[in-house]
Amino acid sequence: MKISNIQKIKRMPSKFIFVFSLLVFLSPSISFADGGGNFKAKCSSCHQPHKNGTGPKLFQARQKWSTGGAKEGSIYQWVNNWQTAAANDPYAAGVSKWSATAMNAFPELSKVQIDEILDWVDAQPDPATAGPANGAPVVDVDPASSEEGGNTWLWIILSTMFIIIILSVGGVRRQLKISTGESTPNDNLTYTEEFKAWAWKYRLPVGLGTLVIFLSLIVTLFQGLGRINVVENYQPSQPIAFPHDKHAGVNGIDCKYCHNSVTKSKSAGIPTVNVCMNCHKQINGEGKPYAAEVKKIYSAAGYDPTGSGKYTGNTKPILWNKVHVLPDHVYFNHSQHVVVGGIDCKQCHGDMTKMSEAVKVQPVEELNKIEGNIKLSKPTLTMGWCIECHGAKEVSLGDGKNGYYDEIHRRLRDNDKSLYKKYLKDGKVTVSELGGWECAKCHY
Amino acid sequence: MARKYWKGLEELKETPEFIKHKENEFPSQQTVEAFLSSDNLDETSTGRRDFLKFLGFSVAAATLAACEAPVTKAVPYVVKPEHVTPGMPTWYASTYYDGSSYASILVKTREGRPIFIKGNKDFGLTKGAVNPQIIASILGLYDSARLTGPMEKGNSVSWATVDGSITKSLKSAKSVTLLSNTIISPTLQKQINDMSMTLSANGQTFNHIQYDAVSYSAIRNANAQNFGAAVIPSYNFSKAQTIVSIGADFLGTWLLATEYTKQYGLTRNPDSKSMSKHFQFESFMSLAGSNADYRAMAKPSEYAAVLSYLIKGLNGKCAVKSDLDSATKKIADQALLSLKSSKAKSLVVCGSNNTGLQLLTNQLNQLLGAYGTTIDLSNDLKLFKSDDAKVITLAADVISGKGPDALMFLGVNPVYSLPNGEAFGKALKNIKTSISFAAYSDETASLCTYICPDHHALETWADYMPTNNHYAIAQPTIRPLHDTASIIETFSVWAGKSIRLGKDSQTAYNLVKENYEKRFPMGDFAYSTHNSCEAITGEVNTLTAFKEGNVTNLPASSDLEVILYQKSAIGDGRQANNPWLQEMPDPITKATWDNYITMNPVEMKSQGFVTTYDQEHGLSLATVTVNGNKVTLPVYPLPGQALKTIGIAVGYGRGANGEVIGKAAFQTKEYGGHAVDANGTLKPIGVNVFRFVSNENGCLNYDVIGKLSKEEGSYSIAATQIHHTVMARHSIVRETTLPIFTQKGKEAYNPAHTLQKLNSEGHHEEVPNSEFDLWDAHPVEKIGHRWGMTVDLSSCIGCGSCLIACQSENNVPVVGKDEVRRGREMHWLRIDRYFASDEEATIGQRKDKDTFSYDKAEIAAENPKVIHMPMMCHHCNHAPCETVCPVAATTHSNEGLNQMAYNRCIGTRYCANNCPYKVRRFNWFNYPSYKKFTEVNPAQDDLGRMVLNPDVTVRTRGVMEKCSFCVQRIQATKLVAKKESRTIQDGEFATACSDACPTNAIVVGDWNDVKSAVYSSSKNDRAYQALEEIGVKPNVWYKVKVRNEENDLLASLQVAKTPAHHEEKKAHH
Repeated sequence: MKISNIQKIKRMPSKFIFVFSLLVFLSPSISFADGGGNFKAKCSSCHQPHKNGTGPKLFQARQKWSTGGAKEGSIYQWVNNWQTAAANDPYAAGVSKWSATAMNAFPELSKVQIDEILDWVDAQPDPATAGPANGAPVVDVDPASSEEGGNTWLWIILSTMFIIIILSVGGVRRQLKISTGESTPNDNLTYTEEFKAWAWKYRLPVGLGTLVIFLSLIVTLFQGLGRINVVENYQPSQPIAFPHDKHAGVNGIDCKYCHNSVTKSKSAGIPTVNVCMNCHKQINGEGKPYAAEVKKIYSAAGYDPTGSGKYTGNTKPILWNKVHVLPDHVYFNHSQHVVVGGIDCKQCHGDMTKMSEAVKVQPVEELNKIEGNIKLSKPTLTMGWCIECHGAKEVSLGDGKNGYYDEIHRRLRDNDKSLYKKYLKDGKVTVSELGGWECAKCHY
Repeated sequence: MARKYWKGLEELKETPEFIKHKENEFPSQQTVEAFLSSDNLDETSTGRRDFLKFLGFSVAAATLAACEAPVTKAVPYVVKPEHVTPGMPTWYASTYYDGSSYASILVKTREGRPIFIKGNKDFGLTKGAVNPQIIASILGLYDSARLTGPMEKGNSVSWATVDGSITKSLKSAKSVTLLSNTIISPTLQKQINDMSMTLSANGQTFNHIQYDAVSYSAIRNANAQNFGAAVIPSYNFSKAQTIVSIGADFLGTWLLATEYTKQYGLTRNPDSKSMSKHFQFESFMSLAGSNADYRAMAKPSEYAAVLSYLIKGLNGKCAVKSDLDSATKKIADQALLSLKSSKAKSLVVCGSNNTGLQLLTNQLNQLLGAYGTTIDLSNDLKLFKSDDAKVITLAADVISGKGPDALMFLGVNPVYSLPNGEAFGKALKNIKTSISFAAYSDETASLCTYICPDHHALETWADYMPTNNHYAIAQPTIRPLHDTASIIETFSVWAGKSIRLGKDSQTAYNLVKENYEKRFPMGDFAYSTHNSCEAITGEVNTLTAFKEGNVTNLPASSDLEVILYQKSAIGDGRQANNPWLQEMPDPITKATWDNYITMNPVEMKSQGFVTTYDQEHGLSLATVTVNGNKVTLPVYPLPGQALKTIGIAVGYGRGANGEVIGKAAFQTKEYGGHAVDANGTLKPIGVNVFRFVSNENGCLNYDVIGKLSKEEGSYSIAATQIHHTVMARHSIVRETTLPIFTQKGKEAYNPAHTLQKLNSEGHHEEVPNSEFDLWDAHPVEKIGHRWGMTVDLSSCIGCGSCLIACQSENNVPVVGKDEVRRGREMHWLRIDRYFASDEEATIGQRKDKDTFSYDKAEIAAENPKVIHMPMMCHHCNHAPCETVCPVAATTHSNEGLNQMAYNRCIGTRYCANNCPYKVRRFNWFNYPSYKKFTEVNPAQDDLGRMVLNPDVTVRTRGVMEKCSFCVQRIQATKLVAKKESRTIQDGEFATACSDACPTNAIVVGDWNDVKSAVYSSSKNDRAYQALEEIGVKPNVWYKVKVRNEENDLLASLQVAKTPAHHEEKKAHH
């Protein structure tokens, strides 16, 4: 890949993408917590409130069913098991023909819960009519970082000016001295000799100053070396402009729906094209600005959206650019962290529901702002960052939650009480105390 | 007097070179001083200033380059296969059969590519046993020399073209002959039968001749005479209390050795009630012989006398002379005693392909009543159906121009392996249509009109019937890499029953399934495929009562008998292009990358051959002449080789005319590239001695008569034998005999190491080593996990499966002959082979240094005992390597592991110097990219790289590496347990070596789990730690080797010493 793809490391992280209307859009969800939660967990992969997707839009579905002549309560039966409903109610049978894709059964949802979901859906404003919500320009300005950048330049300009002023004042003084005849005859020295004499005269402050400058240079050098290969803010372009905020944010699709190997494997998995097609077979984005992007999925899947909609079998894989790249000598396992450690994706990846453009490596300051995250100081994706978290994260031991750790706890408690007490000094047993700082946990 | 263990004659005799090199673990060619003082240095074109400039530029460039993040692509599946989770392995049960080795296997695949093979312990005939060849066969899948599609007269063509012309030629041919290896696939056999029927219906003649390069036809012939059925019976070594082997290497390469190894392992546990007694009469020191309780040296011509002596001893009648020399007679008498007591629970096997000897063996087994207990004639072995007489006739016909119109070669390479292969190859052009199904353009295939390459075994569906009662399925584990076709489909297409369907053809699958459904009408194919096998009752052999055979044509005696044997890594040479196998040290000689003449050092000395060698000094050359064929090879000193015999391994000298059979099959130059001869032809590794094979009485015979003459010059051998010496610290291996083990206490055979200290009363007191410690204890003893390993030296047979499994699992590079010769092999696990002679020769204990003679020791060493000892990182809790690392690249984990962080390592090699076990390996070069290793290291090849385990880092130049206890597997096992919220079950974690071990000699597990097998094994009376006295507290235990023998010397050493020791103690008090 050429330089163009050795991506620009964006210097301006968009820290506050708080689209005002988005807040308005999300705020009612608080009053329908259960409904919203269940909608996102169970329905949102196929249904949207105001738009047909894999399944039909759900806005005012109950009214639609009752005006359409459905039997009383048929809609709840439908949600629990659509086949039963279709067998009992001709209207439901008609609904089942809406799409070839069959709906999942949700026998666990009670009538109350279904009502909650539908109440929540009905309370959602239609983004198409809600005006500026969707079209609002994204404010991609980071006051903090621009200030920081400005500061640097300011300092450079100021110090240059300062040096020029000092030098010119010195020159003027020298000229003055010569012209006023203050200088002695053997004082006819070059600048270098004069500087040497001056430095010798004020050797203590000059020496100390040199030492300070020298030390600070060394510190700067090492800090600079420490920034090598720090990939914070790394944001490569992607073959498809995939908006995480639309999928995980607006539509509330669970991260694990697409990145489904995150609980099973070391790799979280980039969704395969057939997963995209689960929804995008319906959502073709026609007439929308993103239609071209959806077409890229179709071409990868070998899907012909025109006419009857068939798979041609002529597939071609999508070449994504990896964002979070660990060196080959690092072993990182997603399932260890997500399933065993119970770490939320946000801890390392930031709030994806707000990431409107290509994914980037979130700087640690951004991650620290997210509620519930363990606060860290070292740059994201550096070893220091991993180590810091391993030193801070508690492992729940002996609470019956995990049989593996219960046994480890038992051995620790029964066999080495003093060590156990040492571990518990700070009130918790951390990952590092169980060996999370050892080389061969990640390097082999 | 201590027993002396030695690894090579160099050590025993302490040649000056040996003394010099043992001090120097990392031999370098030239010292730094010598390099700097060299005059040539001034003539170098790069001046000092230039050098510094370059240095500065490159540092700056490297720094700049490091600042940019490279773009890495992530390519997800378009449609993910259901059973594939990226990052997680998928295992498939399958079956391995290559014409000589057979095993039920499990194949590990990652993202659809197979990366590891191990035995299937739950199902199948071989019960988890594999051999090095089977484990290494995975590398063959990714060999870039494999044919990528069909060929016609050396040109690539399409299948349609080939099918068209071949069906046309077959139709017009008057006679068609198929020369194949032994077919044990019922489905393939059916395709052959179909073709035979189609051709016969046309009035054409069709012959199917089966041919094994290493044939066992004499066993079939003998059984035909004795029992009326030409079968090879099933042997059950696990039921045998006495095993007598006459030259049969049943632990290495003889018949279905994988199964026998497993069975043998079951009988070798001294803790169980009965331990088998193993007698070996042989001329060449084989793997089986090295494990025998009693081993006698006998020439092949003396085998008949040994058998006759045993028959007569059991009151049988035998016309054959039974004169034995005194040493052999002593052991034969012991064998008789044992045979008389175990009777039917005995097993006698003979490795010779001489019908007369096999008849005598049968007679002996019949006398003992072994048929029905240890030998099962009804459940016979379907492997090795070589019809030697027909093969010999066919070869003669072809050479004399009377060959068939069409000749097909399936799984055989007669131009290489026939005695008259050269003439056969030349005559092949007279055959109108010759077809090979080989995967490579090998010796035979390259001379054929057509090559229709078969799939690799891991790419195809197949079914096998290795014995009468066992049906096995092989399933593909990867989509075919190249445009090859299953042989089942090819035959079906040519018979006009199927059409060519290309890479994703399901023809073979359908035919195998159809065949399965016919055999198992109620069966579930998917279920059987998951298990890889089904029990079945095959056709019943009609056997007659034992009838004495006509013992004739016994091997004649001669002054030089030549034994053509198979090495356990190279076998008959079908995988000679496999660098893992080429670099695997031979279990006995520890030599790599070569074949050679093995000769007893006593005899070598009298004939003026050099008996010692090292990295700079080679071995003398000699020419062997057999039947007018001559080969010149180095002469290797092998204690235990019968006098007046020599051994040479077959399977070498592949690709002698530069055939494209794979990069690693040829010699390489010192700085990379292949070595070529004057004609520009690649030089093969070793020499082909299949030309020596003779035809005796219609059988291919591998014990022949020859002449030896000394040659000028010397030849360097790359052996791992003289490296990693034990430095005369002989507390490494411990052995005892069964009588001592059962009758005496631990004190006799496994005394604890003690040191003296002053007790409270001011007296000296003997206390265990463990009371002395420089360091605080590591907190691994009770809390968390503590990973440990025990290696039972009684069970370990030294086969090398663990070594290859380790190489496959841990991405261990191949370094080639030149580097091995320099002592830079990279194997994380080595198997030390110690010869044990009875003479004391330990440094510092000699009575008279100046006049001491080793002559006596050498005579004793003529037929030494052998101990195999796997040696890997001991993960010492007080590891000496950890304390000397200046950058803390090697540290200790709280699970007892000695961890190695490659990226921290700066390559000082202090750790390796400080390691008492010498198990650390240094990356001298960038093996994955340096040109010297292009030919040998599979990781340098785009295709070969596919075999790398993605969970293990590929190390780069300048870092140390060593056994990690398969930490990637530990972590994976822990993760599964954590995710399932449960404790780790014992046996759940296995290292690659313990997984591969066919005799379960290696036990691993969590030592802190007091119910674990490894804990109880380490508490066994036989458990000891190597070099325990130095107090490094390793996490590896060995278990004393117990030989089921009477040994006066050991008894005097071990039993006599014990009370004296006590008395001394008392006297002191």
